[in-house]
Amino acid sequence: MKALLQKSPRWVLVVLGLAVFGLLRAPFEDRMQNRMIESNLLLPPPAQDAVQQMSQSALMGTLGGLRTLVSSYLVLEAFGHFSNKEWEDLRRSYAIITSLEPRDENHWRDVVWHLGINATANMEIDESIPEFERKRRFNEYALLAVDLAEQGIEQNPESTTIRQQLAEVYREKLKDFCATARVYEELVGLPGSPQYSDRFVGYFLAKCPGREREAYDHLRRLYYEGDFNHTASLIVEIKNLEEKFDVLPALRIPDPYPDLPGGAQRQP
Amino acid sequence: MSEPNTTLQSPAREVPLFSMSRVWTLAISTLTQLVRMKTFYFLFAFAVLLLAVGNFNFASSPAQALSTVKKVSFGAMDLFAWLFAIVATALLIPRDIEDRTLYTILSKPVRRIEYLLGKLFGVLIVIAISLSVMFVVCAGMIQWKEMGYIADEIGDSTSEQITEDTRQAILLIQKNGFHPELAIATLASFMKAAVVASVTILLSTFASSSLFTIIVSVLVFLVGHAHTMATNFWLAETDNSIVTQMLLKLFKIVIPNFQIFSFSEGIVQGATVVPAAIWQMGGLTGAYLIVFMLLSLLTFVDKEF
Repeated sequence: MKALLQKSPRWVLVVLGLAVFGLLRAPFEDRMQNRMIESNLLLPPPAQDAVQQMSQSALMGTLGGLRTLVSSYLVLEAFGHFSNKEWEDLRRSYAIITSLEPRDENHWRDVVWHLGINATANMEIDESIPEFERKRRFNEYALLAVDLAEQGIEQNPESTTIRQQLAEVYREKLKDFCATARVYEELVGLPGSPQYSDRFVGYFLAKCPGREREAYDHLRRLYYEGDFNHTASLIVEIKNLEEKFDVLPALRIPDPYPDLPGGAQRQP
Repeated sequence: MSEPNTTLQSPAREVPLFSMSRVWTLAISTLTQLVRMKTFYFLFAFAVLLLAVGNFNFASSPAQALSTVKKVSFGAMDLFAWLFAIVATALLIPRDIEDRTLYTILSKPVRRIEYLLGKLFGVLIVIAISLSVMFVVCAGMIQWKEMGYIADEIGDSTSEQITEDTRQAILLIQKNGFHPELAIATLASFMKAAVVASVTILLSTFASSSLFTIIVSVLVFLVGHAHTMATNFWLAETDNSIVTQMLLKLFKIVIPNFQIFSFSEGIVQGATVVPAAIWQMGGLTGAYLIVFMLLSLLTFVDKEF
């Protein structure tokens, strides 16, 4: 051993030592890395197209293990794009952000909110753009928001915030009440989902052509679950459906039409 | 004529092969050396960064604002830890040679491994103190902001008046706020810094200057951090030949995998801490430290100054 130490150049022994240690640790590290990615402790490597879109400094930061810092910086940059209504730039920034931190539901929720709500609202009012182009872009941003929300849900299957934002885009912008009801249906039972989700399923099923009967059954079931569900909106919705289906008086719920602010809920 | 002095001197006390107290003495002297280099001043910079991020008003919701404060502060802690580990470790041995402290130390019954361990532990103590201070500052800031946001949500309502929406908003704020698991994220940064410091010590036993050690250590860190990502990218972009694969394999074997030590990012984003994984990472860190210190000793043991 002593002779070996004396005769061999030290750097050769060091490289040899590194190689032996490397061969021993590499399989353990690979297994460990996969397990940690599965348990969300480690972030998966960013997608290749995101790497190609990154600026040199962002790429260096990402390589240097500063992914969270780089993404925080890009969120700041994206906020600048939002303030200046630069929707295409905002979309590009978020493509990188969501690729760097795919498991942060806030990023997905924000990009859906920016494109689905803010960009579409801007297209409704920005008169510097011809109307046909505004309509085209309105649809493009709304559908893109839906697509991004679905990607975000794929990455964060239990996310309630992304689903709430997606439901808002369907409800407020695309006026697709069947899809809105479907999203609220997905929300029911998820950890941390809002209590109103179940009621909202009924409200939007009632607006979905062909599913009104389903809505009526759903809302009645909720009504008979307990007093905590006897909200004014739920009662109005049931009473409207009772009118629509001409339900026998004996089978109707006992409550009268409640007085709602504005009184607009009652159907003639 | 006086009688010759027949009193014999007692034989020299045998020096133990390894003494932890000597390592500790060297570690404390390294700590003092680093404190005199005013290394703790960066904590002011950290506090300013934290205040600035805490007062940015760009987030779409309180939950996102808290998430950003957490990510930026823990990202900065991680950055500080590994950068400090490289720079401080790279400077220590050359400085000891320069001001001739090294000769004084090695002329005493101090083993070279004790010297190397003393230097490493000194750096690790400074990193541990700094990370602890930063963690406390950061935890205070996050909790203060969290309480402020919750108070804003509640407003003047009594507990009976709180609506379901408000309750949901509070839950979301708490989810993105302070959790004791964040201490494990700090530990993850410490483990990464410890491995980086041991790699730098190995390089500094070879290198002729601090600058060379710093540059090479940063390069090793970047490559070690990116080789999973670079491997995927490279294999997709090239013809995936046997030479490319061999080269990538070589990198993987020789360069430490720093990516695996970045699990603080997951914890900061709310991932559940798996105790078994943390213990295994602790073991892996220990293995890195032992192997790299032994390899450093191999080059340092009979190095002449």
